[in-house]
Amino acid sequence: MTGNPIRRSLTVVVLGAAIITLPGCARQVTRIAPEQAIDLSGHWNDVDSRLVAEEMIEQSFSPAGGVSWATRFSQVHGGEAPTVIVGTIRNRSMEHVPVGTFVNDLERAYINSGMVRVVASSSERVEVRDERVDQQQFASATSRSRLRSETGADFMLQGDIQSIEDREGGESVVFYQVDLTLVNLETNEKVWVGQHKIKKFIDRPRFGF
Amino acid sequence: MYKRLIPLLVLALVAACGPRIRPLVPVMDNGEVLDTSGEETVARAAEVSAAERASTAAALGEIEAEALASCTPETCAAIARGEVALGMTPAEVLAATRTTWSAWETRGASDVTVMTGRLGAQPPSDAVGPLAFVSLQDGAVRSYTYSEPQGFRTVNSLADATTAGRADAQAEALLREGDQYTVAGRLDLALARYDQADILRPGDPQTTLRIARTLDKQLRPIEAVLRYRMFIHQMELEKIRARGEVAANVAEAIARAHERIVVIEKR
Repeated sequence: MTGNPIRRSLTVVVLGAAIITLPGCARQVTRIAPEQAIDLSGHWNDVDSRLVAEEMIEQSFSPAGGVSWATRFSQVHGGEAPTVIVGTIRNRSMEHVPVGTFVNDLERAYINSGMVRVVASSSERVEVRDERVDQQQFASATSRSRLRSETGADFMLQGDIQSIEDREGGESVVFYQVDLTLVNLETNEKVWVGQHKIKKFIDRPRFGF
Repeated sequence: MYKRLIPLLVLALVAACGPRIRPLVPVMDNGEVLDTSGEETVARAAEVSAAERASTAAALGEIEAEALASCTPETCAAIARGEVALGMTPAEVLAATRTTWSAWETRGASDVTVMTGRLGAQPPSDAVGPLAFVSLQDGAVRSYTYSEPQGFRTVNSLADATTAGRADAQAEALLREGDQYTVAGRLDLALARYDQADILRPGDPQTTLRIARTLDKQLRPIEAVLRYRMFIHQMELEKIRARGEVAANVAEAIARAHERIVVIEKR
């Protein structure tokens, strides 16, 4: 009736451990603000993208030299805002970096400021052109968009991301450099170069819980 | 005792071999909430941009009102086309190029001035092309110069401003460029320039002769012979035209002489 006291105490320990451990295994999700910077692995993440976007926007609108490239263009073109097309932003780093996040932030800043106009990039405009051609056949004459009325870009945004990694044991230093350039499509002149550098020290303990 | 100390000594040595780093200075804490400075920058830029657009629009409005109030029909048409023309006032030049004074620098004395694009900025342009400079005398445009791929092209007569005049000037520039390539031994590039000049100014014997000679030197005899023949044919046409002109001039001179004889005899 009383049973083996060792077996009974073992059962109690196992049950107790299970009660304590099982809730800890349940998935927990906490919604947090996108502005909160959280680094887990040390790889390129949303914080890096955000920092790059903010720095590029700042450099683009408030240059160290005084008058921005967009203002200079407007002065020569009767107040007309320059038009930019996004070209290729090459990822030359060793890891996956989605460049679209900060490039879209920069595009949004350009459009919202009213200082710069942005036209669809070569990959985006294919669908738009298809739709326009389709309209010529199926849309009513009053509502169809005209052909050959696209806005030509004055400048192209190009750039690249490079990274350098230095590793020793469980410690590593990763350096990212993001360079964006605006090139005058007619003259090849580089009218603006934005640059942002990020450096991270990552310490990975070999043993730990 | 020594056995216990050996691993500790090894560990100490390994630690001493590693890189020495000063205490790291973090620029951001993990979990820190970032400020939204980007939005503020965009809002500030939007304000500045709106103010600049408003002031530029006001300045342009004033300039266009001044230009259109006093322009001749030809000048008004040129402003509407967005082309600079001879005889324009500075305000009319600004209206034609859709610019304000902030795009230009003015140099020179009061009677003769030169308007050039502001240094470091893109040159102002009209509907024809980018303008290198505009020369004014007594407040009216005397000549203006375009910056074109073949070099500068100055317009100082009404004939220069026409499409034919422009094509003629560009053909001349292309011939010069082609000659330079010929001297440098780049016959392929020279022939390309001569061909372009031939399109802009068709039927010009000098261009045809240059093409024929270049083809000859490139050891392309059949094409060279064709071009030489075309040159001879064009020269024949030139002769006929010259004779016609001379004959017309002579006939005119004879008629005038007869007229003078009649007038003198009547006196």
